[in-house]
Amino acid sequence: MVECEFPECTTFGAVIRFALELEKGAAGVYEELAREPKAAPAAEMFKALAVAHKKRGDLLEQTRQQKLNEMILEPIQDMNGKSYIIDTNAPKGADVKTAAKFASMIEETSARFYIDSSKIAKTLMAEAARIMDRLGKESQANKAKLDAL
Amino acid sequence: MALLSEVKKDYGKLKNYVNGEWIDSNSDRVIDVENPSTGEIIAKVPMSTPDETKAAVEAAHEAWWAWRETPPITRGRVFFKLKELIEQHFENVARIMVQEQGKTIDEARGETRRTIENVEVAAGIPSLMFGYTLEDGAAEGIDEDAVISPLGVFGAVCPFNFPAMIPYWFWPYAVAAGNTYIVKPSSQVPITQNYLTKLVEEAGFPPGVFNIVNGSHEVSDTLMEHPKVKGISFVGSTPVAKYIYKKSAENGKRVQAQGGAKNSLVVMPDAVLDRTVANMLASYYGCAGQRCLAGANLVAVGDIAEPLLKKYVEASKKIKMGYGLDESVNMGPVVSAKAKKKVIEYIDSAEADGAKILLDGRNAKVPGYEKGHFVGPTVIDQVTPDMKVAKEEIFGPVVTYLRMDSLDDAIDFIHSSPFGNAASIYTQSGKWAREFRYRVQCGNIGINVGIVAAMAYFPFAGYKDSFFGTLHGQGQDAITFFTDRKVVITRWF
Repeated sequence: MVECEFPECTTFGAVIRFALELEKGAAGVYEELAREPKAAPAAEMFKALAVAHKKRGDLLEQTRQQKLNEMILEPIQDMNGKSYIIDTNAPKGADVKTAAKFASMIEETSARFYIDSSKIAKTLMAEAARIMDRLGKESQANKAKLDAL
Repeated sequence: MALLSEVKKDYGKLKNYVNGEWIDSNSDRVIDVENPSTGEIIAKVPMSTPDETKAAVEAAHEAWWAWRETPPITRGRVFFKLKELIEQHFENVARIMVQEQGKTIDEARGETRRTIENVEVAAGIPSLMFGYTLEDGAAEGIDEDAVISPLGVFGAVCPFNFPAMIPYWFWPYAVAAGNTYIVKPSSQVPITQNYLTKLVEEAGFPPGVFNIVNGSHEVSDTLMEHPKVKGISFVGSTPVAKYIYKKSAENGKRVQAQGGAKNSLVVMPDAVLDRTVANMLASYYGCAGQRCLAGANLVAVGDIAEPLLKKYVEASKKIKMGYGLDESVNMGPVVSAKAKKKVIEYIDSAEADGAKILLDGRNAKVPGYEKGHFVGPTVIDQVTPDMKVAKEEIFGPVVTYLRMDSLDDAIDFIHSSPFGNAASIYTQSGKWAREFRYRVQCGNIGINVGIVAAMAYFPFAGYKDSFFGTLHGQGQDAITFFTDRKVVITRWF
């Protein structure tokens, strides 16, 4: 199980931290699923998704470092982070179907988080909003691939 | 949420950086540097002596000519290296600022970015230092040129509210232009500059080109009195800015001295309420109100006053206070016990003058941080223009709420202040916005923007008692401040 610590989404930095925890959690789950013997037919796909989620984490860190502008650091007051927390306790002994279903839920939650965050970020930072929107769409595409397994 | 880790618990006794060496001060006067969130002592800073300051000036003067002879493109390259190093140490720089100043990690990251942006602009020095020329400018066959030349040693005396960025409004431009430099960091927040200077050293600036002397007014006075120092940059309170301006000018130096502020944010009846409130929260409570660009007076025009106040107070109640290394914290403490006492005295005075404290931050407590200097968001209603809280700089998270009948009244009120640092208007009307930017006598005007912080490539300073001098910090203005125009008339026989 990957340990994640999800903050309250009250600042831009906290939203990015939340996203980084999501990515860490998702990457860790995919790595665990890739090692499941019964899910072996999907192992390559899970490995690729683990790498993709790590890269998304890098992109988020880069966004935090380069795009944050203190002039528009407004508090975030209406985002309920609890509704985006993912389950990172990957099922043991899962077959392809079970593993894919579990991962699909992560992607669905991630997509919802990024799309909602994008709307909030739009009022703060258009560039960050675009990145959030892109990550949300990627998660939706990942979910579609997983659902097809 | 767990805290982000501190870079170090204790930074020890800080040293001066002079002539490319880290030197212990001989002074027996040492001040504690306190973490304003926890009350812990995290470093000790020496109050360097006049002789130590003079030695730094001599070293900077000695280094000047060779640095001045270094081509601008080569000088610029050292700044590219410095930029890369600060990027690599980005998170450490930000976290040290949180530790020593109390701001939130997001605010500190934003400040680190602005620090880097000044380095980036200064790195383009060849394009910033062009002179101009006119063939046959003096007469037929006699050409005339104006070349831009550096002048020698400059110094900066810096405040506590932006430990990384403010020295970088000045020194990168001065040094890129071919001068040498001495920074006196605020003795309340010297660690960030100490850390950044290690990166300056690693970037490869020659010894003596950039120097740090820690200390108090003795260092500043020595810099202002020294005949080899050509100019002084200062940011701080208005009384000190006036003193610096006068003393430096008496000693024949050029000066840019930025002082205090009392910024008004004017909300017109057609303002977009939700967006306006969110933006103003950042202005009034960002950096716990300790920005020279922070909102102070909130001026509601017409019938928006009641709904705006209700919404603003509700939103203010949700501001989360704490140690800025918790990424979910919206606001940290003020910088010291003394600063907290001063803010509380202002709130007391408003109450005594008959204003109504709608939201009272005087007794704010943050569990686990009982020794921190926290003042909660404070909203004071029924403030009138004659009250002390409407006129003087509080430098804390305090909103003084005034009601006016018209934009004319709001502008008259802004103009009644001796300060002229910044003012903002929230409106959807282009006509009102245009009138505001045209008429208001302040150095920085915001249209639906509550923190009018000029980017590195724009000049930054205020008007009236907020600034003493002519050329501002940052960008082309900084280059002009740190250089002079030399006219050359050429005739060949």
